[in-house]
Amino acid sequence: MTAAADTAPTAAASRARHPGLRSFLVMVVSEFKMVLRDTAGMVTPIGLPMLILLTSAGSTADVDVGGGLTALDVFVIPLMIMMVLSMIGVLNMPSFLAYYRRTGILKRLSVTPVSPVMVLAAQVVVSILQSAIGIAVALGVTAAVFGLNPPTHLALALGVLALSAASMYSLGMIVASISPTPNSAVAIGLIGFLGMGALGGMFGGRDALPEPIAVIGDHLPFGAGVQALQQAWAGAPIEAAPILSLLAALVIGVVVSAVLFRWE
Amino acid sequence: MVMVHRSRSDDLGQARTGLGLRSVETMTPPSTENPAVHVQQLTKRYGHRTVVDGISLSIARGETLGILGTNGAGKTTTVEMIAGLRRPDSGSVSVLGLDVHRDRGALRQVLGVQLQDAELHEALTVSELLALYRSFYPSPRPAEELLDLVELEDQRATRFGKLSGGQQQRLSVALALVGRPRVVILDELTTGLDPAARRRMWRTIERLKADGVTILLVSHAMEEVQRLCDRIVLLDAGRVLAAGTPAEFVEGAGTTTLDEAFVQLTGHEMEIAE
Repeated sequence: MTAAADTAPTAAASRARHPGLRSFLVMVVSEFKMVLRDTAGMVTPIGLPMLILLTSAGSTADVDVGGGLTALDVFVIPLMIMMVLSMIGVLNMPSFLAYYRRTGILKRLSVTPVSPVMVLAAQVVVSILQSAIGIAVALGVTAAVFGLNPPTHLALALGVLALSAASMYSLGMIVASISPTPNSAVAIGLIGFLGMGALGGMFGGRDALPEPIAVIGDHLPFGAGVQALQQAWAGAPIEAAPILSLLAALVIGVVVSAVLFRWE
Repeated sequence: MVMVHRSRSDDLGQARTGLGLRSVETMTPPSTENPAVHVQQLTKRYGHRTVVDGISLSIARGETLGILGTNGAGKTTTVEMIAGLRRPDSGSVSVLGLDVHRDRGALRQVLGVQLQDAELHEALTVSELLALYRSFYPSPRPAEELLDLVELEDQRATRFGKLSGGQQQRLSVALALVGRPRVVILDELTTGLDPAARRRMWRTIERLKADGVTILLVSHAMEEVQRLCDRIVLLDAGRVLAAGTPAEFVEGAGTTTLDEAFVQLTGHEMEIAE
């Protein structure tokens, strides 16, 4: 073992930097290994999208909505994607981080040079990977069994998907930042998930909602994401309002979670 | 000479007078020029309860200081403030000249901490945890060196959740040393360990001492404190009750063991936290 040089910290040490990209990648790989070793944790990301599509595809796969697309393509799939992203991003991911907080794993990390942003970002990346795998498997199975048409504007759809995921997870980071226990994370996340979903069309069309409530729902990440994804899938011009709403949610989520984050 | 501070109890004060221990009013800080750790008038309250009440202490570079006290004496709160985990209501802490809150980034590079109530990822192996924590530092100790230091070479492929309590504790110490810290805080180092595991841990700490690392050790184990610490600070009800070398404690209390000296000074049996 090398002897410790017991001198005063140098100016360079005083400007000590946080761990960089390599450290971030090691953390992401470590988190992903844990996910793979806890197979129960993969049930929601893999099972949820499959369940939604297999129970809805049969009745919508042959309903023509024009342009060679079906109701499955334009309505069911965007809704399924947002349900998966919101459930995992706002409900599932924060409960993992709350577990880390309750067991003292975050406290242990707090005495290392790691920043809260890196811990949160690693969680988000691993969780998004799980969602992506789940959505891809469900789309693959649905395409093989029922037939599926790709989005008319594929690049735009992928862009909307990425922005929606980032917005949804940034709200999940707020839940993760403030929840002291896994149970509280589930309680707060469930309210967020059901509230955004109900206002965004998860339980029926927006016409069933009072107008002011429907307008709020349009601007929350669930409703905004569904709208923008439907437009990209159908080949319609994408409106600015849902995109701006998604961007606003992303910025608010990142800033608020960084401010509110607690190691303990 | 053991330096004794003002007591919360007149009875204890009289007991110490009988023991010939020096009053805090005449106490001077240890002669440490440019100390590794410098704590001044640290106070922490939770609501109306004062948990740490004006504690001052210094640790010289390369010194091993033990913090003793009964449960609830304020030991863990004190070390967590020194580690920058909690903000004091008043007072200041510096480690190697760094303010523990203002210079957090630099502090984390030079301070290693083993916490009493922190956990690690259960599903990761010893090697994976070492790789993760090594990635946080610009010039970490080699994993093999750490495994050798804490005698966990044969457990490198074992998941943390499958390690024994002693092995988990030793890994926790290894992770506190990953970044080549110059100051190490060890909170309840051997609590819950069997005698063999405890002795292995002591050997690890002795190797650190030999390397000149400054160590702050919180412990309930008198044998451990006597063996490892150059100096002891005894806390009681959030205050420094006495300070000195282990030999001075025993001599000053007129007892044959440190355990007896502790009882004389605090009026309590030491409670062993499991």
